Order: sequence, then structure tokens, then C-alpha cells
Amino acid sequence: MTTMAATLRAPLWRRLVGFNLLTAIVLGVGGWYAGWFGARAIVGPSLDYFADVDYNELSVFLAYLGGVVGFLAGLGFLNYPLARLRGYPPSLREKETEGIGRYFSLCTDHKVVGIQYLWGIGLFFFIGGLNAMLIRFELLRPNHQAFPAGTYLTLVGLHGTMMMGMMTSGILGPFGNYLVPIMIGARRMAFPRIEALTFWLLMAAGAILETTIFFGGFPTGWTGYVPLANEANPGMDNYILFFALVGISMTLLGLNMIATIVTMRAPGLTWTRLPIFVWGVLSTSTLMVLAAPVLVATLSMEALDRTAQTSFFVAGAGGSNYLYENLFWVFGHPEVYILALPGFAIVLELLPVFARKPLWGYRLAVAGLLGVTLLSWLVWQHHLFVSGINGDLRPFYMLSTELISIPTGFTFVCGMMTLWRGRIRYSVPMLFCLAWFFNFLLGGLSGVFLSDVPSDVTTHGSFFSMAHFHYTIMGGLVFAFFAAIYYWVPKMTGFQLNERLGKIHFWTMFLFFNSTFMPLFAAGFLGQPRRVVTYPQGLQFLNDWVSVSAFCLGASLLLFLFNLVYSLAFAKVPAEANPWRSKSIEFQLPSPVPVHNFDRIPVFSSDPYGYGEAPAPVVAPAGAPAGRS
Amino acid sequence: MRSVTGKLALAVAGVVAAGVLIGFYVSKLTTQAGSPTYTVPVKTGGAHPVVDLTIQTVAAVGPALSPNPDWVSFLVRDASGKWRRETVWRLPAHATVHVTIYNFDGASGLRNPFLARPQGVDGNRIVVDGKPLAVLPPDEASHTFAVPQLGLIVPVAPVPDDARNQCGYAPCSLSMAHRTETFTFHTGKPGHYRWQCFVPCAAGWITGFGGPMQTIGYMDGFLDVV
Repeated sequence: MTTMAATLRAPLWRRLVGFNLLTAIVLGVGGWYAGWFGARAIVGPSLDYFADVDYNELSVFLAYLGGVVGFLAGLGFLNYPLARLRGYPPSLREKETEGIGRYFSLCTDHKVVGIQYLWGIGLFFFIGGLNAMLIRFELLRPNHQAFPAGTYLTLVGLHGTMMMGMMTSGILGPFGNYLVPIMIGARRMAFPRIEALTFWLLMAAGAILETTIFFGGFPTGWTGYVPLANEANPGMDNYILFFALVGISMTLLGLNMIATIVTMRAPGLTWTRLPIFVWGVLSTSTLMVLAAPVLVATLSMEALDRTAQTSFFVAGAGGSNYLYENLFWVFGHPEVYILALPGFAIVLELLPVFARKPLWGYRLAVAGLLGVTLLSWLVWQHHLFVSGINGDLRPFYMLSTELISIPTGFTFVCGMMTLWRGRIRYSVPMLFCLAWFFNFLLGGLSGVFLSDVPSDVTTHGSFFSMAHFHYTIMGGLVFAFFAAIYYWVPKMTGFQLNERLGKIHFWTMFLFFNSTFMPLFAAGFLGQPRRVVTYPQGLQFLNDWVSVSAFCLGASLLLFLFNLVYSLAFAKVPAEANPWRSKSIEFQLPSPVPVHNFDRIPVFSSDPYGYGEAPAPVVAPAGAPAGRS
Repeated sequence: MRSVTGKLALAVAGVVAAGVLIGFYVSKLTTQAGSPTYTVPVKTGGAHPVVDLTIQTVAAVGPALSPNPDWVSFLVRDASGKWRRETVWRLPAHATVHVTIYNFDGASGLRNPFLARPQGVDGNRIVVDGKPLAVLPPDEASHTFAVPQLGLIVPVAPVPDDARNQCGYAPCSLSMAHRTETFTFHTGKPGHYRWQCFVPCAAGWITGFGGPMQTIGYMDGFLDVV
């Protein structure tokens, strides 16, 4: 089969022509210019303010919208809707079974999309990390040295927005798409084309955000607060388009996950047998579907304020900047848990494997995930304690914020009890899981100071809060992300990652992560504010320590990248089908997983955490009826 | 199956490409929206040097000096008499700075009348077209030159709306309608002091604080006191 495919393979030039990334980039650039000149030619003469500023918002918006449409058309996303309009019957696009080209085009294989996400998000994660390095370089000295003050703000905004936007899909994108259908015994996602669309929208969004530097950047950080956003350069439009596209992608991703999990579970997979990772995906998806549309709507209103002279958020013209702040955080705080919950789920999924014990308190763990999902809607105004909101609101939001530590604590209890008297194997994924507990504990404890109004008044907007959320998001999500990479990438690629390099990566990352962010609690207490390019001379030692640690942290991540390239492209040590002796269904399949996942649809008879118990068949023996998925 | 040499070549090419892209990105960031430092020549040296700083304010900076020709801007005159759009100025510490502002822009008005009274300058007086003034009518102020960390606030007098021969695009010649304003201040100890205009004078933005008002190289900058 492979030989025949190889002999029938078209020459390179022929393979480059068609609906793929190359065509998408060409049409994307063309669409961009069409939008830019279209706005100037058609709309420009009718609007006075076009003459007042050289850059103008409408041109930027229409250019990028044109670019996105061209990009998606180049990938072939319009083909199917157009075919349906022409009367063709509904169909599923055939999956491409081999070749690197499928990773650079619209592919409906959920495993390909998962790997696309892994590399795509990884790319933007490293760009966000580069921006962090530049920020720390600038802060080596108390006074400005490399970047103008406005550019420093843009760097901070680019780092924060990229990380917060891209990493929302950091787990669900690669691992959710790849693993959820397999874990529930399905052969595909409910909406394969939408699944692919969510990935390519995210890639377009990332490019839009980075090109803000050609339009003066944006000064608002990742929150995009008005009235500053109303006054900002056209680079602000890139922020709006980025986050709006991310919001659309998140909404579709969440809907697809929910539909898949609810409707496509294999026989026997009851809710109480669902892997805890799938529960984490389900709760995160629920937050995405409910929160992300608020973001898209908010940014649409802001876009109208900047282009069509509406005044939703212009206080002087009947609008309210508080409206923006509230709407943003109605999205923004669930967003924090969209980042955190997949980390909870991964840690709880991996602990039983490496402790060789069943997951302790499965139902309690699920209750923890659902409790956080529910309570995350009731806390958003703790971000606005010092904004001048009605003081009577403060006690409620203070208490609701502190209440969320209870379901979060469920995760800790289940994790600790699973480890209790376990036969723990300190493999790389397990090390990252254990570090997650340490980091997230510090993040949670420091969060108490920010949820309490009296202490928040002094710590809000300082490096203390910055250190806090890096402990929860980088210490939580990113450590879990790496645990997942070391755990599942052998399954996804068929090649084992180098264990020794992995351990060096872990220890250097853990050490320098803490060395970077722990001193920032002190810097915050000493009064260093976020998003300010200068600081008092007396804080230079702390800042230099942090900067050097951050550079070492960056080097640790480069070591990971080296490990990835070395293991997958050079060493190529074949991965066993079940290197971790896991009972989860994905590890009962060959590595990498075959195109159609299962020859026969499995029938589940237990959850996947029966370590130390009599073996129970997870997959039905051959001969069971294969349903169509 | 690609050979190890081929893979290594690909990996090296990838690293080189990433390096080039990162280099381009960083160089773009170090220059974008920025302003190179202009070192103001010292007129008289010693422990208490004296410098002359000559600047102009224009309603539109023009295509010759900026990719944003319609943006309001400050310009500085160098030793050869050429006007430069650079707003980071290096000055000696503990210096006496004699400032001359040629303003070619009309009145915008102050939102905060407090800024109408010159402060932090010798005698708390400015001299407008040869006439000393302790306060400017708030509605008439065209711009301000303010360095909050030095306690310096100077309102800038406007060109009347009906003046003849008004300047369209910078650099504007002194034969065109303008106001001449002089004052003296002292730099004090070394530091990096932000200066800016506090009049929301950015046309095209909702409340006038966008674009040039928040971009180094136009209506704000730094005094790099060394």
C-alpha cells in the first residue's frame, strides 16, 4: 500500500498547488490588500476622520478580515459549503492517511488536527516566551535601555495576550482533539471540519496579533481596557481581531467537544466511567462555550466604537467604560479556569498511572471540576476591587472567590490520596505532575491575598499579582502541558522522547521557574507596579536576579525543543504501545494510533483506573459489533 | 528516508531562519514608535553647564519627517539648524537650560486650568513674544511642555486662528505665523525624566489622547539627564 502510494505520488510542484497552507498564505495576503484598498476607496471618502489620521481603523479591520477570508479559502474551507450550495450531497472529506502535506492543509482526522495544534500552539508559545525574554532584558536596569516606553507596553501586551489567548486551547487543542474521540471509543469528532477550522482560525489570529508591531503596537496589556483602548494606535485593532478570532475558535472548539462527548461515547462508557481527563475537557468546554461569546461580543462593540463611532464604552458620549471592564472579566475570569481546569484533569489522569493506584475519590474529583466550573462565574469583580465599583459588592465577590478554593481543594485531596502509599514511579510526566501541586499551591495561597479586599488594595496591579497568576497559569497549566507532552507524544508520534534530557528539562524548568517568579512576590510587596518600564534603583538586584533566572528558564525550554527535535527526527526510538503500563484505552492501541482508531468500536466495562485490581477488560474482545461512529 | 546529514542541514537551516526572523522582530521593536536620542550641545561647561534647547511645535509633522504626516508633533533644532523629529534629549545634570519654543499651532484649550500657570521655571514666568507672563488664559493654550518629575509645567501660547501665512506641514520656517516663547529651567540630578504635552491635541481620536499623544517622537519623550 505504502509502495503504491509512493509510486503514485505527484511531483513536489504539483503537491504545492491546491488547497494548502501555501495557497492560504498567498490568498491571505491578497485578501489583506483587497480589504485595505477597498476600505480606502469605498468607505474612506465618506468619512471625515479618514483624512485626520494616516492609519485608520476601517482599513486595518477590513484588511485583516479580507486576509482571514482569503486564508481560509486557500485552505479549502469554502469548498464544502459551496458544493452544498450547488446541490452536492453531504459527505465527510476523505482522510489523508500519510504524508507531511496533511499537516499543512484542511484535514478532518482528529489526530492530525491534534498534532497541528501541538506544533502551532507550540510555535506561538515560544514567540510569547521570546517576548517575555525581551521584557526581562529591558528590566535589567531601572531606567529604559533597549525599548521605548510605548514599545515596552506593546511587548508586555503581546506576551500576555498571546499566552492567554493561545494557551486557552493549549490542552484542548492538541490533547483534547487527539485523545477525546479515542478515550470515548469514537472514530472522529462530531464536527470534523469545524475541528479543523478552530485550529486554522487560531493560526490566523496569532499572525494578526504579532503584526501589530507594524501599526504602532497597543498599550493596554492583555485586558484591552477602555478608554485607553479607544485612544490607542491602530495596533489596537490587531488585539481586537486576535481575541475575537480566538473567542470564535474557543466557542467552536468547546461546542465540538461537548457534542462529541455527549453523543459519541461507545457502549458501556457511562458518565461514571468517563476518564477524568474527558471530564476536564467537558467542564472546560462548557466554560468556553459560555464565556467566549461574551468576549467576541465585547470586542465587536469595541471595534464599532473605534470604527463606526458608536459609544458603547465611551463615557463622555453615554457609554460606560465600566461596562467594558465587567464584560471583559465576565469572560476573563472563567478564562482563567479555562486555563486551569485542563491542568487539574491531566494531573488527575496521570497520577494513578504513576502511583499504580486507582484514582482516589473519582466522584469527588468530578465534583471539584464541576464546582470550579460553576463558581468561576461568580468571582469576576475581584479584578475590579480598586476600580471604584460599589463598595457593597466587595464582600460578596471576596467570599465567592475564597469559596472557589473548596472545589479546587477537592483536586488536591484526590491527588494526595491517590499518591498515598502508592508505588510511585518518578518518570518525567510524573515529575511535572508533582511540580504542579507545589506551584499551584503557592499560586493558590498567594491568591488569597488578592481575593481579600484589604490586601488586594495594596497588592493589586503590582508584581505580586503578576507572580500569583504566573504561579497558577505557568506553574499550573504549562507544567501540566509538559506532563501531557511527555506522556502522550510517544503515543501520538510513535517515538519515545529522551528520558534523560526530559529530566534535565524538568529540573531546570522547575528550579528556574521558581527562581524567576518567587522574588517577584517580594518586588510586588516593595511596590513595583506591573506594565511600567522603569523602577526604583533599590529594586535592581531583585530584578536582575529575576531576569537572569528567566533567561535560564528560557534556556530550559530550548532544551525541551532540542529534545523534541532530537528524539523525533534523529534518535527515532520507536515507542512501545504502552510505555507507561496505563490502563487507559489509548494505550491499548498501537503507536501511533491507526487512522480509524479502532477496527471495532469498543465496549467499556469499567473506568480506566483499576490499578492493583483484578484486570477488567476495557475493550471488548474481537467479535463485538462495530457501530458506525 | 532522509539522511542524517539532510536532517542536520534542515535543522541548521531552521535555526538560521528562526534567528533571522527573531533578529528582524527585535530590530523592528527597538525602532518602532521610538525616537533616537538627541544630545543637546553644551554651550558653557563646568560644574553648572548651560545649554540652549530650541524646539518647535507643529500641527502636522508632514510627510518629509514622518510616516504619519497629519500627526501633531514637537521638533528639536540641532547645532546645524536642521529640525529633527526626535524627542529624547540628552542633557547634562545640574545644568541651566534656556528653552526657546516656536509654536506654529492654534489654540486647543486646557482641560485642567492648573496647567495654565508656568511652574518649575526661573521666576515662574515665561516670556511670550518678548512679554513676561505668569499665567496664560486656559482656553488659549496650544500645548504644554511638562516634566512632572522635575515639577516643570509650561503652557504654550497659540497662533491666532486668523493669522496670515500659517504653516501647513513641518518643518515650518520662522517667516510663517508663529509665537516665540522662552523660559529657563534646571535639570538637577541625573535621571530619566518623561516629558509630555498635557493638552489632548491628537486630532482623529475620540478624546484626543491617541496616536501622537502616546507615541515617543511626537508629543512626548524623555529628558535623559546624565
